[in-house]
Amino acid sequence: MTIYSFWIFDKHCNCIYDREWTLLANPKSGTTNSKQNDDISKLLYGIIFSLRSVTGKLSSTETGRTNEISSISTGRFRIHTYCTATGLWFVLLTDFKPFNYSKVLQHIYSDIFVKYITNNYLSPYDFAQSEGEKRGQGTRKITNRHFKNNLELFLEPMISS
Amino acid sequence: MAIETILIINKSGGLIYQRNFSESFASKLNSNDFLIIASTIHSVFAITSQITPKALQITQNNVDYVIPYIPMVGMESSNPQQTRNANVPVKLGSYKGPDFFKEPFISWNKSGLRQLSTDQFTMYIYQTMTGLKFVALSSNVLSTNAGTMNGSIDKTKAVNVASQVADNFLRKIYCLYGDYVMKDPFYSMEMPIKSELFDKAVKRMVNNLL
Repeated sequence: MTIYSFWIFDKHCNCIYDREWTLLANPKSGTTNSKQNDDISKLLYGIIFSLRSVTGKLSSTETGRTNEISSISTGRFRIHTYCTATGLWFVLLTDFKPFNYSKVLQHIYSDIFVKYITNNYLSPYDFAQSEGEKRGQGTRKITNRHFKNNLELFLEPMISS
Repeated sequence: MAIETILIINKSGGLIYQRNFSESFASKLNSNDFLIIASTIHSVFAITSQITPKALQITQNNVDYVIPYIPMVGMESSNPQQTRNANVPVKLGSYKGPDFFKEPFISWNKSGLRQLSTDQFTMYIYQTMTGLKFVALSSNVLSTNAGTMNGSIDKTKAVNVASQVADNFLRKIYCLYGDYVMKDPFYSMEMPIKSELFDKAVKRMVNNLL
């Protein structure tokens, strides 16, 4: 298992956190919070958004179950998603081997995001400050040091193993 | 692997064939919904090649795109319920053997969308060299209890096999397309497939798939 990048999108289609590893041998390599308004984050959001609308149509309503996307795979990599009820999307790009990362993403949400961002009084409640920053135009991002460090610590063993 | 729905999408994103094989979630949708789904899949397919991660672009590691041949997927002799043909192998035609192809093949779907797994179904996409896309919706679900850290190898393998079976199966649907649609003199290219023979052959193949 190898992971390539990690993204968080909020309910306003904004990318509020991104982390990409470039050299898999070196877990410190790569970029943090530099691709928010890059095409790649918008394309990634668009792919998941479109496929969510497809799976929403193709779900059985009788069972009352949800039909969330767990992974999207191409010939070279796989996109794992975890969507929360508050409209946050946690996205992880990994190698294409079918391996279930939903617990990993769930852990990032419940034990890292909630602990350092949601339960933090100083962290903004909503990352979009004004009307103009909604619909994918936002610039604010997660800069919390503890969140970053804990995320690195948690994901580091998975980068190249 | 129960196939719920099969879609065929032409190279410009139009839906040319759609069949449901069970009274499941897909059956309540109308043809317009399927047209939207087909064009969405087509456009997402094109976008996925744009978001290849940096680490992959740098390393240039050669991924093996060869898909192993899995014998008799969807063929009549693979179905134990049909015992009448147990001794006599079924031939597909005068010069064809009991199976459409017998060799591993290279997937042309190198950077596009290949598989979509959700809580309720798995979607497999096979792309041909000419840009035609065969989409199968299977009610199989990618196992969710595969563990996180203690990755169980067997389950990973099982999912891999499922996608290989799906590729083999969809390639056979493509063979049927070649036989029943392309050889139909009244068929016009890129138009919806209205062939009854093709319909029957696809239905038979889906039923043989266990």
